[in-house]
Amino acid sequence: MSVEAAPEAAPGAVRVYAEYDRDIHEETDVVVVGSGPSGSVVAFEIAQAGHRVVLLEEGPPLRVEDFELDASRSMARTMREAGLRATTGSVISTMQAICLGGGSVVNSAICPRPPAFVFDRWSTRFDLAQTTRADLEPHFDAVGEFLGIAPTPEAVQGQRNLLFRDGCERLGISSEPIPRNVRGCRGSGECFTGCRSHAKQSMDISYIPAAIESGAQVFTSVQVQKVRSNGSRVGGVEGQVVEPFTGRRSHRVRVDARYVVLAAGCMATPVLLQHSGSLANASGQVGRNLQFHPGVAVAGIFPESINPQFGATQGYHSLAFLEEGFKLETLWAPAPVLAVRTPGSGAELQQRFAEISKLAVWDGIISADHSLGSVKARWRSLDPALRWNLDPRDVKTMLRALYVLSEIFFAAGAQKIMTGVRGMPDELFSLEEAEPLRSEVFPPNAMLTGGNHAFCTTRMHGDPKQGVVDEFGRCHDLDNLYIADTGIFPQCTSVNPMFTGMALARRQALQLVERL
Amino acid sequence: MIVWTLIAMIAAWAGFRLFGGYPAPEASLEVLAPREAAFLDAAAEAMFPAVGVLPISGREAELPRYVDRWLVLLPPRQKFLIRALLFLVEQATIFFPAPGPSLRRFSSLSPPAREAWLRAWGESGLGLRRLVFTSLRAVLTMGYLGHPAVLRHVHLAPLEIKTPIGPSEWLYPRAGYPPSSIEYSEADRTPPSDGTPLDLRGLLHPDYRAPEA
Repeated sequence: MSVEAAPEAAPGAVRVYAEYDRDIHEETDVVVVGSGPSGSVVAFEIAQAGHRVVLLEEGPPLRVEDFELDASRSMARTMREAGLRATTGSVISTMQAICLGGGSVVNSAICPRPPAFVFDRWSTRFDLAQTTRADLEPHFDAVGEFLGIAPTPEAVQGQRNLLFRDGCERLGISSEPIPRNVRGCRGSGECFTGCRSHAKQSMDISYIPAAIESGAQVFTSVQVQKVRSNGSRVGGVEGQVVEPFTGRRSHRVRVDARYVVLAAGCMATPVLLQHSGSLANASGQVGRNLQFHPGVAVAGIFPESINPQFGATQGYHSLAFLEEGFKLETLWAPAPVLAVRTPGSGAELQQRFAEISKLAVWDGIISADHSLGSVKARWRSLDPALRWNLDPRDVKTMLRALYVLSEIFFAAGAQKIMTGVRGMPDELFSLEEAEPLRSEVFPPNAMLTGGNHAFCTTRMHGDPKQGVVDEFGRCHDLDNLYIADTGIFPQCTSVNPMFTGMALARRQALQLVERL
Repeated sequence: MIVWTLIAMIAAWAGFRLFGGYPAPEASLEVLAPREAAFLDAAAEAMFPAVGVLPISGREAELPRYVDRWLVLLPPRQKFLIRALLFLVEQATIFFPAPGPSLRRFSSLSPPAREAWLRAWGESGLGLRRLVFTSLRAVLTMGYLGHPAVLRHVHLAPLEIKTPIGPSEWLYPRAGYPPSSIEYSEADRTPPSDGTPLDLRGLLHPDYRAPEA
């Protein structure tokens, strides 16, 4: 490969596609692959400590003018595979963002800390003695302060969130406003297509500008295709410039670095390792153990309009059932996305659409520890081939979550609900009609599920034979290769994972700083 | 000779069934072929009939134009899969015939027959058939409920929101543009959002306002 030296990039610069006119060759202390929540935290901490860091992102930076309000066009521009990614085996749709800031640009900014029992399980089952909740508390605190993580204020909850609270209260179920990385939310409910108020503290307007200010170099529209290695150490990464939205490849990119941090996401990092000659895989665990938080949802129709357009996208949740294996929360998304699950066709379907101003949707995310899958490189592509199987034990938990959501809806005054479970009536008008969710067995394919929290494909484990990285994210096989994304979780977090990923990433970065 | 004549007749019939007799689409389209546009119009009409409680029919929601604009953005693999879906449902009346003696393709069926035929897919005992129906309904729903007139009718059209000038405005150009196009500097910073709840009586986003009479 012929690599010319590009003009020296000034520290603090953000490079974009339109200015690449030749091959790029950079040298740095640390190269971070992926600008999502974890990668951004690592880049910031390294830069702030005064070291050279290059942050590479395959997607472009997005300005508010680049956001699409139309859901399918928005997904086509911000998500890999246009948001149409799904597993084989048990079909579950899943998404991965492709833009500067990664998933933080298009997620709901939910930032709970997992309960201590999650970390206790991690510690005991995966030999991770230094990964207790107490160990991570300072990192949660630091990230939380940086991003302004705080409970969603009542003024921007909107009725569809407050009805959830009311229903929980009537049933004696604890619930609370969702803590989010948001400052000045106006309740537009548009987290999914990008926050036009700049209230959501996504990485592109928080950690990345701070990293740049501290001297980090950011290269966007760079697809990393390979980690260079001599067997015991890595020397950097190689890839190509890609055009935003079309993915057309052009100039070569090479970054030589003393340390490489892969933060490409739990579906992309294993593929990158596989493309690099099955790197870091002495344990055989790269790409295995794929887990999701499969989501189930109930839609409820209330007697009057509840103006669902207004309110925090996800403003209230209940952590009361975490030990049973599920978390309940409110949900909003662009109407066409929510309506995709609406049953029926023809005039009947239109009737349901006409009631959408009375609609609330609440969901359960399931700690599906029994349902495992894998990530493999697709032939001649960096897109992952995902396989995943939903275990009947987790189906039981999903049904239990659906039943509790049904209870909350009727307690909150819903006229009717739609569970989306095949074998149940399309619409239920009383809790008694939801009884089969408790008493009957449904097959895994009876429910349409989606899972945007994905984990464990490069899991950490104290034993190098059973895990890819140690508890500080360092690969067991390669001394100077780190992984910093949700792939390193040994099991699911039972709650939304972004905050945990960032806390772990901060701890990793600080440890890495000590080695530089 | 008879055999060859028969083969030629079958080939002609198959060719016509697959590609022939489709009207030219009303809008100019970049990706969709006339047969795909005709299918989408027919499917939209069946899925969202003019007699429904929403006063905008599937045909009025301009699904071919919507899907075409979407397909332009899709990677090749996803584009192929969506187009294969449209082809499959249009031609599947051969394998799952609609009521009556006809083997006509989907878009040539009457609107009630189309609606009944689609409903049968949604209620099928075959998981794969239901998945095809769900996928098609998802594509149509995204277009139908994404239409500004429909969104206005269900009171979910996006509002106009003034964006504060922050770091992304002076650090990044718009996607695909060079840094020289950045029109702001840090001196242009405006106060960040103060958390004032949105006023639902406010102006709609310009793309979603009703056309002026």
